[in-house]
Amino acid sequence: MAKKGAKLTAKAPIANKQSKGVTDKKQKVDRRKSNGPPVEEPVAEANEGEWEDEDSEDDSENESADEEGGVDFSKLEDINDSDSDSEIDSEGEDDDSEADDDEESEIDVDDLDLDDMDPEEKEELAATTRVRQTINNKDALLAALKRISLLPTDPKKAATVPFVYHMTLVTSKPTQDAIPSIDDDLERELAFLNQARESALKARALLKKEGVPFTRPTDYFAETLRSDETMQAVKQKMIEAATAKKASAEARKQRDLKKFGKQVQVQKQQERAKEKRATLEKINELKKKRKDGGSAALGAREVDDMFDVAVDNELGNNKAGGKRGRSAGDHGPPNAKRQKKNEKYGFGGKKKFGKSGDAMSSGDMTGFSAKRMKHGGGAGDGKKAFSAMSGKAKGSKPRLGKDKRKAGAGRR
Amino acid sequence: MAAVYKSLAKTSKTDKMDIDDDAKNGSSSSNGVRKNKQRVLILSSRGVTHRHRHLLNDLAAMLPHGRKDAKFDSKSKLYQLNELAELYNCNNVMFFEARKGKDLYMWFSKVPNGPTIKFHAQNLHTMEELHFQGNCLKGSRPVLSFDATFETEPHLQVIKEVFTHMFGVPEGARKSKPFVDHVMGFSVADGKIWIRNYEIREVAKTTKGEGEDEEEEASSKKAKRGLDNKETDISLIEIGPRFVLTPIIIQEGAFGGPIIYENKRFISPNHVRAELRKSKASKHVARQEQTRDNLARKRKLGLENGEAFKDKSGLDTRELFA
Repeated sequence: MAKKGAKLTAKAPIANKQSKGVTDKKQKVDRRKSNGPPVEEPVAEANEGEWEDEDSEDDSENESADEEGGVDFSKLEDINDSDSDSEIDSEGEDDDSEADDDEESEIDVDDLDLDDMDPEEKEELAATTRVRQTINNKDALLAALKRISLLPTDPKKAATVPFVYHMTLVTSKPTQDAIPSIDDDLERELAFLNQARESALKARALLKKEGVPFTRPTDYFAETLRSDETMQAVKQKMIEAATAKKASAEARKQRDLKKFGKQVQVQKQQERAKEKRATLEKINELKKKRKDGGSAALGAREVDDMFDVAVDNELGNNKAGGKRGRSAGDHGPPNAKRQKKNEKYGFGGKKKFGKSGDAMSSGDMTGFSAKRMKHGGGAGDGKKAFSAMSGKAKGSKPRLGKDKRKAGAGRR
Repeated sequence: MAAVYKSLAKTSKTDKMDIDDDAKNGSSSSNGVRKNKQRVLILSSRGVTHRHRHLLNDLAAMLPHGRKDAKFDSKSKLYQLNELAELYNCNNVMFFEARKGKDLYMWFSKVPNGPTIKFHAQNLHTMEELHFQGNCLKGSRPVLSFDATFETEPHLQVIKEVFTHMFGVPEGARKSKPFVDHVMGFSVADGKIWIRNYEIREVAKTTKGEGEDEEEEASSKKAKRGLDNKETDISLIEIGPRFVLTPIIIQEGAFGGPIIYENKRFISPNHVRAELRKSKASKHVARQEQTRDNLARKRKLGLENGEAFKDKSGLDTRELFA
C-alpha cells in the first residue's frame, strides 16, 4: 500500500492532466494544497495504463502546459515534502489493517518501481523519503528494556531498592540545555562536570544514609586505576609546566624592568641637561643685568668685585640643591701617584706630530727680530734677502726650533 | 586508624547485610529484585589501532567484573561472540570493531537474549594520554550519573540500562573495593553520548578531618545527622578516558535479530570522507571542464591549426606558389 501511495504522490499531477487538461490539473493542485489526502484512487488507476505509455513523448508538453497554467513545480515539491508523511501514513492505515501503528515509519521504499520514472521525479522521491527510512520501534525497545532491566518497572517498587544496589542516578535537568555551543570545549566540559558533581553529591548523601562506606580512609592503600608511574609522569609534567610558567613570568618581569630602567635613565639625563641649561641661563641673565645697571652707577673695579660675589652666591645657592652629584666635567686634581706618573710618562694627549710645524708655530713670531732682518738685506728684494739670509745663517744666531721656542716661552 | 576502619567496616557491613536481607526478603515477595550479577566480555576485532587498544585496556581496568579476551577474528560472524561469552560465563559483551584501521564501532550486547547496541566511537582519549590528575582505586564501584535526557526516549532508556550493566560494577563483585571514589558521567548532547570519568575528592570545608567525620558518622548514625554532608565539599577531578558514542542501531537479539532502532542522524564516516574527497575533486573537475570548453570554442573559431590566418579565397601565397 505504501508503494502505491508513494507512486501516487509522485505521479498524480501528470495523470490528471492527461485525462482532464490543464485547468483541471490546476484545480487538483489547489485542492492538494488545501488538504492533505490526495486524488481519488480510481481515477489514477484507470489512467495508469494510458499515461505510462505516453509519458515520454509528453514530457515537453507537460512542462509548457505547466508554465501556461501558472503552476510552478517548486511549489508542488514543497507540498509534497511537507505533507507526504501524513498522506502516506493515513493511506496506509486506511487500507492496510496490519500496519503497525507504533512503528512510526517503517516504509519500504526499495521495491518501488523506480524504472519508469523520470530521473527528476526519482530524485524528488528520494529526497522526501530518505529521512523517513529510520526505524524506531518503541514497543520493541520497551519490551527489551523490561527484559533486561535490573529494577522493577513499577516506580513504587523501584524506590524500595537500595541505592547501593545499582548506584545510578539521573540528573534533574538535561545537560544539553547547559551547553550553549557543542564546539565550545570549556563550556561543554563544565556542563558535564556539573552533571557528575550533582550526582556525586546526591550519591554521597544516599550512601551515607544507607550506611555504606563512601570516603576512602587515608591509610587504606590498594592498587589504583592509574599506575604510580603514570601519576609520577603526570606530576612531572605539572611541575614542568609550573616551572616553565614561572620562568616565563620572571623573564617578562625582567624585560619590563629593563625597559623601565632605560626610561628612568633617559629621564634623569634630560633632567640634568635641563638643570644645566637653567643655571647657565641664570648666570647670563645676571651678567647682563649687572652690565646694564652697574656700568652707569659704579666704577669698573667695583663692578667686577660685586659681580663676582653675586655670581658666586648665585652658584652657591644653586649648588645647595644638587651638590650630591658631581657633574661630568667637574673633576678635582688627580691624586699624587697619578700626578707622578703623569709627570713620568706624560699624560694623554697627542704625541705624534708634536714637533712638526703648524699654524700656531708658523704664526709664532718670538725669536724673530726685525733688526736682524734689516741687518741681512734690503727690504726691496725679498728673494735675494731670503737667499742671503739662508746663506748667512751660519753667521748670525739662527731661529730656534719649535720645541725650544716653546720651552723658552714657558720659562719666560 | 586501621583498627578504626576495621570496626567501621564491620558495622557498615552488617548494616548493609540488613539492608540486603530486607531487599532479598522483599524481592522474593514484593519488589522482585534479582541479584545483580554481571560479567562483561571485553574484546576487540583485529585491526584496532593503538589508541583503540589503549581505550580497551582502560575500560577493562575500570571494570573488575570484566573479562578481557584475545582479538576476535571475524567481523561478519559476530553471532559467534554469543558462544564465546557463554564459554566465559559472561552475560555482557563489549566488542570493539575497528574498520579501515581508523573507525571504531563499539557493540554493547546483553548476551543470551539481547538487545545489542552498535555505537560509533569518536574523540577517543585514553587515560594515559590525558594528563589529568585524578586517580581512583582499581575496581571501586562508580556512581553512574545519567543525563535527564536518558529518560525521555525508549532507545535512550535501553542504552542507559545497558550502560548500567556494563559500566556499573555490581555490588560485591569479586575484585571490587569497598569505597566509592569515582563517578562516571553519561550525557546526551548533539545526538551523541559523551562519557567522562571523574574522581570524587572530598575537600574539607571546615577544619574537621576525614577520619573524624567518619567516626562521627558511625557514632551518630542512629541519630541521623543529615547535615554531615555539608562539612566536606566534593570536588571532581577528571581521570579519563574520554570518548563519545553515537548510537547507530539497536538489534533485538544478541548480535542478531530485527533492528528495532536506527539512528537517522548518523552519517557513516566513510560517507563523510567520500564527501570530503568529492568536494576536493570538484575543483579538478571544474578545471577540466573549462579546458575542454576552451578547446571546443577554439576549434569552433578555427584557431586550432592556424586556419584562421589562411586566406580562404585561394590567393594565399602558400597556395599560389605551392
